[in-house]
Amino acid sequence: MKLNMDAATPTPTAETQTALSPWQLFRRRLRRRKIAMTGGVILVFLYLAALFAGFIAPYDYQRQDRARFFHPPIWPRWEHFRLVVPRYEKLPGDFVYREVPNDTRPLHFFIRGDKYRLFGLIPASLHLFGTGDTNYPVYLLGTDQFGRCVFSRLLYGSQISLSIGVIGILLSFSFGMIIGGIAGYFAGATDTVLMRLCELIMSIPALYLIISLRGTFPPGMSSAQVYAMIVVILSFIGWAGMARVIRGMALSLREQPFVLAARALGQTHLKVIARHILPNTFSYVIVAATLNVPYYILGEVVLSFLGVGIQEPNASWGNMLTAAQNTEYLKNFPWLLAPGAAIFVTVLAFNFLGDGLRDAADTKAQ
Amino acid sequence: MNLLEIKNLKMDFGKDAGALRAIDDVSLAIGEGETVCLVGESGCGKTVTALSIGKLVPTPPAHYVDGEILLNGRDVLKMSSRQLREIRGGVVSYVFQEPGAALNPVFRIGNQIKESLKLHRPDLGAPGTASARSGMARHRAGAVPGAPSRRKALDAEVIRLLKLVGIPAPESRLRNYPFEMSGGMQQRVMIAMALASEPKLLVADEPTTALDVTIQAQILDLLSDLKQRLGMAILLITHNLGIVGDMADRVAVMYAGQIVELSPARELLRRPLHPYTRALMASVPKLRGDADRLSAIPGNVPRIGNFPPGCRFAPRCPMAKPECSSKNPDLVEVETGRFVRCPFWKTE
Amino acid sequence: MWSYVIKRLLHMVPLLLGVSLLTFLLMALSPGNFFTALQQNPQVSPETVARLKAQFHLDQPWYVQYVFWFKNVLSGNFGYSMAYHIPATTLIVQRLWNTFLLSFAAMVVAWAVAVPLGVWAAVKKDSWVDHACSFIAFVGLSIPDVLLSLLALWFAAATGWFPVGGAQSPLYDFMPPAQQFWDRVHHLLLPALVLAASSLAGIMRQMRSNLLDTLRAEYVTAARARGLGEGWVVYKHALRNAINPLLTIFGYSLANLLSGAFIVENIMAWPGLGRLTMEAFFAKDSYLVVDSVVMATALLVAGNFIADLLLAWSDPRIRLK
Repeated sequence: MKLNMDAATPTPTAETQTALSPWQLFRRRLRRRKIAMTGGVILVFLYLAALFAGFIAPYDYQRQDRARFFHPPIWPRWEHFRLVVPRYEKLPGDFVYREVPNDTRPLHFFIRGDKYRLFGLIPASLHLFGTGDTNYPVYLLGTDQFGRCVFSRLLYGSQISLSIGVIGILLSFSFGMIIGGIAGYFAGATDTVLMRLCELIMSIPALYLIISLRGTFPPGMSSAQVYAMIVVILSFIGWAGMARVIRGMALSLREQPFVLAARALGQTHLKVIARHILPNTFSYVIVAATLNVPYYILGEVVLSFLGVGIQEPNASWGNMLTAAQNTEYLKNFPWLLAPGAAIFVTVLAFNFLGDGLRDAADTKAQ
Repeated sequence: MNLLEIKNLKMDFGKDAGALRAIDDVSLAIGEGETVCLVGESGCGKTVTALSIGKLVPTPPAHYVDGEILLNGRDVLKMSSRQLREIRGGVVSYVFQEPGAALNPVFRIGNQIKESLKLHRPDLGAPGTASARSGMARHRAGAVPGAPSRRKALDAEVIRLLKLVGIPAPESRLRNYPFEMSGGMQQRVMIAMALASEPKLLVADEPTTALDVTIQAQILDLLSDLKQRLGMAILLITHNLGIVGDMADRVAVMYAGQIVELSPARELLRRPLHPYTRALMASVPKLRGDADRLSAIPGNVPRIGNFPPGCRFAPRCPMAKPECSSKNPDLVEVETGRFVRCPFWKTE
Repeated sequence: MWSYVIKRLLHMVPLLLGVSLLTFLLMALSPGNFFTALQQNPQVSPETVARLKAQFHLDQPWYVQYVFWFKNVLSGNFGYSMAYHIPATTLIVQRLWNTFLLSFAAMVVAWAVAVPLGVWAAVKKDSWVDHACSFIAFVGLSIPDVLLSLLALWFAAATGWFPVGGAQSPLYDFMPPAQQFWDRVHHLLLPALVLAASSLAGIMRQMRSNLLDTLRAEYVTAARARGLGEGWVVYKHALRNAINPLLTIFGYSLANLLSGAFIVENIMAWPGLGRLTMEAFFAKDSYLVVDSVVMATALLVAGNFIADLLLAWSDPRIRLK
């Protein structure tokens, strides 16, 4: 896990530089914007999918198909002007399946199926697609070692993996901003104590600290508790880096005329920090937050992957990957790596978006 | 033959549709030992013109459209990179605005000066030269004749140069890093470095702008003193007409990528012809005289690519006439040696 | 220079003390310990458990435990691994060495590839080389260590070119020295490459933007104006300055490297500190967890110290101030 806080790169000031290439600058910005847009669109898509996971997923994340362990992906295909799903039969031997020729069922949209709760509240059983026949399942990404639909689990897992990043960032960055703002604004002894604490936390390699923190929680927690625990652990580590940067900004901001004016007018310290110091760090914070969400997502993935995070049968991208650690599984059933691909796409999208935002923030500074 | 002759230089930033003309039809000549001042507000193309003499503007994005820059009669714009490296430093040396930025922060100043020496004065310390022949250096060198004596000769030359530009105790300064020196001292080092290669032309691009006022005068004094002693030509770029009188033989006034007036310094200061020059003169504070008459020029220098049609100064000109904004006047010799780009130069 | 070195060294002492104290506190806060399981075992008498607990000071409050632990560490004794039944020192030293080996190899590979690539991309700005490098950087920054390690594992299993996990072959002890050496290298190669790949992209991007910044600096124009060749200007004047900010991110990249190593070790079965931490964590072997966290931190702090020294050596402004 890295919490990268690279400051904006300095901009050229020489006469020749500012004058030289509005055209190039424009083209670069356009290209960057396109990339940032791509990232943004992918993220909207992913988060929508997570929100409507129950509806999009054809099956429940716990549903086991005991006849089809390690089943390879089954894709609907176009036949006689409609989408149909072929039937597979199990051959003798370990998890070998073969398509049965000329035995298909049509794929239906908006079909009733497994019960779920939309947004975790509304009971529903409508699914985007499915065959409605358990002998003709649609496993877009195959099944895992318990015969569960990987695609459905991926969607349910995304609810945990995608939300944990955002919540973690919100928590740790707010905390980091407050601590950093206080340290920079008051300077002196407060600053020294808080910054030593930051240094302490940052000097322990993140994952070692995460595991030590994990140890302080009792075993046998409910899944909601585990979720909260992961958020707390990740935030505990993430705030330090943010606080350090905000503190540096606050140190220079407190000397600015508008801050001095606010203090001279007798505003309380808290108000000055909240109204005058912190808002001036927002553009940086937003960029940094976007670029750091991936590390929180990865934090959850690693914890769950190592078996100390989200527990079975709940799905998270991390604990789904645990199955792929078995090289025999990995060699024969590569679709188990699907959560890895999902993580990759998510992180890439965040990086695209963050990079574009950073550029935009830079232009404002010019 | 003039030492430097810029003829109808036109330069763009960018190409084709996106091209922006930064220098438009600039012609300027500098004779041996002559001092010419290039005056203008920031953004008018002075620096780019000066950098062009050594073809130092990066291409792309810059793009030379037309014209030539003759240095000793050879066109700089047509030179190979090898030839360019020879004239850079060898014929024309530069002193930049901010010595703190122009000196490499991680190298000792002695070594930075030596770089120029090694490049442009290969004779230094080589067998046969005075410094190598005399003394015990070569005698002691033993197995590797030449090497230590060259090092000694280089050291001696650096010390001589530092002394020349008025740095006290130069021996102790050799191993200093730039950040260990004051701005004035850094600029002296820059000048020493420029002189190290014994150039014919010294281009000083606002050499005093970044320095304290008291130091400014010292550096200008040093430049005129060096000019007397070494007889090199100087192209001094400044936005301050106040320093022109002490230094320049001739003055070129630039505005929005063009030269608008070119005159012998004394005459220009006594009787400026172009309205822009007059406005510049009026904005220079004088010790004696009426403080009320100090005036600012209204408006701003137009940005490159955003020049007004017709005369580029017309929108800011106090005596602009309707026809001024339709046709850009040519630079015309109106008196001997006096060129001006304004048909109404006679109007008071 | 020496005062700088001493100042940095002294700075490390309270840091390591603080880290050990913090980890100890965290371990003390953990519910249960190694003896919790023993207590539930009907075959072990409560007296035995109590005796063992007293032996390891586990019946004392955590700060007393800390004082005992700290005294021992000062004399080079990292306690006793209750799960492994061997002195922790042996275990720690061996695992520390493995983590160091893995991280160091990865670092060398990452920097040796990233720095030239970054320079190349900067010098050939906006060319296909530059675009290819920035594409690689994006992919590299986005591919998680977990996935990369799994892919490497899959690659090793599918091709058989590399051993699937571990640091040495089962028959290692019976090999002649040359073969032993090759065996270690063979086992090290794939994990090191995975780890290197994960930090490569960041360094490359940083190198590129640093060099582009310095190429815009006025001293570069000034160097060209003196007639220095382009190669000399780029590789001496610009690059020399571009390296300095890179050294400051060295420490930061090292922190990432150690976290990455933690993942790689656990997935690819490399017996380093990260794996030891997990094993000790599951076994509730508290001292061992503290030991490995402290050692990993020490590795990081030492790396940062070296980075500081390199920076001081490289940048006279830091060295002389």
